[in-house]
Amino acid sequence: MRALAADPGVGPIASARDLVKTYGKGEAVVRALDGVSVDLEAGELTAIMGPSGSGKSTLMHCMAGLDSPTAGSVVVAGEEVSSMSERRLTRLRRDRLGFVFQAFNLIPTLTAEENITLPLDIARRRLDRDWFDTVVDAVGLRDRLDHRPGELSGGQQQRVACARALISRPAVVFADEPTGNLDSRSSAEVLGFLRGSVDELGQAIVMVTHDPTAASYAHRVLFLADGRLVGELEDPTSESVLDALRELSPAHAQPARPGRHADDVVQGAVAR
Amino acid sequence: MTRVALRGIRSHLGRFLLSVLAVLLGVAFVAGTFSLRSMLSSTFTDIISSSLVGDAYLRGAQETAGATDPTTGAGRNRIPLALAEEAERVDGVRTVLPDLTGPVVVVGADGTAVISGGGAPSFAVGLHPDDPAATVVAGRAPDGADEIALESASLAASGLEVGDTTTVVVGQGLVEAEVVGEVAFGAPVAGATIVFLDVATATAAYAADGTVSTMAVYAEEGVSEAELVERLEASIDRSEVAAVTGEQLRTESEESVQEVLGFISTFLLVFAAISLFVGAFIIANTFQMVVRQRQREFAMLRAVGASPAQVFTSILVQAVVVGVLGSAAGVGAGVALVAGLRGFFASMGMELSGRIPLDGFTVLVSVLTGTLVSVVAAAVPARRAALTPPVEAMRDEVATHDRGSTVRAAAGAVLLVGGVVAVAAATQGVGDAGTVLGIGAAAVVLAVLLLAPAVVPPALGVLAAPVVATVRPLGALARGNVTRLPRRTASTASALMIGMALVGAAAVLATSTQASTRVIVENESTSDLLIQSATQAVPEEVVGQVAALDGVARADAVRVGGVAVDGDATFAVALPPGAFGTALDVRLVDGSFDSLADGAVAVQEQRAQDEDWAVGDELELVGALGREVVTIGAVIESRALGAPVVLPEDVFLTLVPTAEGSIDTVFVVATAGTDVAALREEITTVVQPYVVLSVLDNEAFADQLADQVDQVLVILYALLGLSIVIAVLGIVNTLALSIAERTREIGLLRAVGLGRLQLASVVTIESVLTAVFGTVLGVAVGVGLASTLPTVFADEGLSELAIPWGQLGVLVALAVVIGVLAALWPAVRAARMDVLDAVSYE
Repeated sequence: MRALAADPGVGPIASARDLVKTYGKGEAVVRALDGVSVDLEAGELTAIMGPSGSGKSTLMHCMAGLDSPTAGSVVVAGEEVSSMSERRLTRLRRDRLGFVFQAFNLIPTLTAEENITLPLDIARRRLDRDWFDTVVDAVGLRDRLDHRPGELSGGQQQRVACARALISRPAVVFADEPTGNLDSRSSAEVLGFLRGSVDELGQAIVMVTHDPTAASYAHRVLFLADGRLVGELEDPTSESVLDALRELSPAHAQPARPGRHADDVVQGAVAR
Repeated sequence: MTRVALRGIRSHLGRFLLSVLAVLLGVAFVAGTFSLRSMLSSTFTDIISSSLVGDAYLRGAQETAGATDPTTGAGRNRIPLALAEEAERVDGVRTVLPDLTGPVVVVGADGTAVISGGGAPSFAVGLHPDDPAATVVAGRAPDGADEIALESASLAASGLEVGDTTTVVVGQGLVEAEVVGEVAFGAPVAGATIVFLDVATATAAYAADGTVSTMAVYAEEGVSEAELVERLEASIDRSEVAAVTGEQLRTESEESVQEVLGFISTFLLVFAAISLFVGAFIIANTFQMVVRQRQREFAMLRAVGASPAQVFTSILVQAVVVGVLGSAAGVGAGVALVAGLRGFFASMGMELSGRIPLDGFTVLVSVLTGTLVSVVAAAVPARRAALTPPVEAMRDEVATHDRGSTVRAAAGAVLLVGGVVAVAAATQGVGDAGTVLGIGAAAVVLAVLLLAPAVVPPALGVLAAPVVATVRPLGALARGNVTRLPRRTASTASALMIGMALVGAAAVLATSTQASTRVIVENESTSDLLIQSATQAVPEEVVGQVAALDGVARADAVRVGGVAVDGDATFAVALPPGAFGTALDVRLVDGSFDSLADGAVAVQEQRAQDEDWAVGDELELVGALGREVVTIGAVIESRALGAPVVLPEDVFLTLVPTAEGSIDTVFVVATAGTDVAALREEITTVVQPYVVLSVLDNEAFADQLADQVDQVLVILYALLGLSIVIAVLGIVNTLALSIAERTREIGLLRAVGLGRLQLASVVTIESVLTAVFGTVLGVAVGVGLASTLPTVFADEGLSELAIPWGQLGVLVALAVVIGVLAALWPAVRAARMDVLDAVSYE
């Protein structure tokens, strides 16, 4: 499994080692992450899949410096994240990371353009006009730049969010269910753009999703269950992802804890 | 549904906390006013019942002044002292004690005058050995002109002890006297300084002309008050002297006290109402935000079958809870406030009644007021919640539109035009200008409140422009936050606007008053120096002493006293006729000043027009000493002499006893070529022993008048301060709730790299923008309206318009400070938000 193959020579753009994250104490302790190690390469779109409660969001949050692991280490762009102060984390997010959330990605009072340039404005960095044009053209929003988020469709809003995530040329973009609220056509636009930015701009992107179609846009898919990395798929298709998920579903896997969430999610994914 | 409402309030107590606090502060003001009134009332009732213990009283039968004082008999004609002996011969009369009371100054142990607390009077009383109201508790009663006794609280305030010798200004002159005793009344005397003299000394000082204002009559055992009055009435000339029962006098006294206290509490209640009005904005805003946040919950309740009325009621129940909680705490805070005030007064030497009364009426009125304000303020948001369509429950996003309604804006515009027209009409003197101005001003304020949401986007766009340009991107974010919901920002700022409008108006009024008085002094006072007393009464003998100095051409005493003119009780001032043209430069409209030397009087032009008086007309004057028919010799226009009628000194003295017609000011004119500065030193030396006298030039005199205005202004500011504090709470409240509402947005900003300090700055900028907006709007309205006052009230002496730009600048600077302070807690809260919790907040 390449995810576990540490290769210090070339150096992944971001990596996690033996991540453990627990919530609660004593009897009630929940291990959201139970020793996960991952490497992310530049120019690669990685999808993380798994049932609800599998730890996929926690893994992303820990790698993005939004949450701190109980044990283990995270290195992003050569910097140890898990020991950073709040101030350095803020700077890391601002300068080296990009984010796309499932919903509520934009500041409603700012125009599309202002939303896109927000990270640079916050950092008081000069806007690279060429890069801005490249990104805006890639998301196809040139004629929408003066609009407020309220005047944009859901798909357009997510594309603005993608453009914002890329504008500061981050080391890694973290996308948390970026198409969760979109119809299939808008989803295809957003996912196509994400893949394109990896292939053409050399961006590293990590995407958490439970949609096999979305996962099929990735270079590879990591499967999580019960806080552990349980599988990996290179060059996935919707079908191969569905097959892999089916293998991970409770019918095949060991009868883990009451898999309420796992059932729902996987069946939902199949239905889709 | 009630359960839903109560659970709602319990689980979101924090949201309602500031609303409760707003009600608390407003109600504390109301409850405090009522219980302060009760406390003062019981203090004075105790004084009356322990000092007016006579069974009957004799007093003048005619009222001679605008305000009569039943306790002292002032404002009635005086009665002959000799009447006491006649009355004592009446069957059933045990003794008759004439009231020998007059102004006094006593010098304390520290060499300065003992100043009575809280504006209470300083007076001396002739102590009759058998007076049942006063008891000698230490030492003995005074005997002879060089002995005095002091009331217990006055003794404590003076720092003197029995056996000490001090200086006393009694009636017309200075006396060195020994304190030989301490005398107690049955009740705290509310800060009054009371000196006891022996009867002979008091008679010489205050009844030298053989008259007194009242006499207390004590009956023999078994004679009722009514019987006593009947018997007295048989023996007196009832056209000059009236006999009343002790009961009646005490009732009259209490009524006059209640009247004054009524004015005070009405005055205070106006400010309490302002505070509650401002508080209502906070409550309305809170409920509006809570309703927005819970829109889906209401939709769900409607979907499962709750009727609009039930949803409406459930919100009103919450409003009632907020109102009752706030009011109950407010009543407690009000009592605490009064206790604090009493302690403060006590430290100023003003002992008040020990009880802080809290009756059912006060509690009921306070709680009802607080609850009513709360319910009324919540009604509009509650209606909106009730009208939530059930389908909203299915929607994903909560509707966030908050457009200022066009109906509201239109109503505001109409009202604004009407108000401005009314104000303009008032400046042209249409109708009762004061009333028209009041109505116009109220309309303008209301219009601005209605228009505020429409004004928010452009006004804040302009106000925010400098910040947006300099603090990128924080300024733009803050501007977006304050303009996205104009109605919310408007009502938050409106709370501050009201207080600031009043402060701005008060500042303009005060500055204009000061400028006007300065002009009056400059125009009318041509004297070189003035002598005034801190007790408002310059001793008679000072006038002669000053006039006798080398370099003094004239020393003219201005006397003020109650006189009825043609049966209309008012007050008059008196001057030596020669003062016109020397000490005073008064505009002569008609007649001549020379006529005053022949016993004619001068009347003010305004009054002459109102009463249709002309030179040569006769007026009947009635004073405490008698009546006189005089001719009008001159019509004048003078603002320095505030009374409608100006009498020559000799006429005045035949009407008003010196004990009642005090010398307000002495105008001093130096002979040509005299060094005024040196003369001032000389006069200062002469008046030094009287302790309370000051010698001023016109400049200092105007300054002193300006200081008095400033003192009033400070009180007004203090009273308005509470409404501003409440408005600040409103800003805190709105910020805190809107931050809670924007949790996910804040999470997003933080996720894309906004630092904590930057986030806190955004919140602070929002707060400052709101505060400055409210202040600028309020100051503009207040100053604009107050600027018309000098035009409308020019005849009342307010001739000059002066706008205190410096002070107004300070107000705007204060708004910035207020904004920063209000933002502290919400900004810290926002900055402390966990990024992950915030982005995943539902």
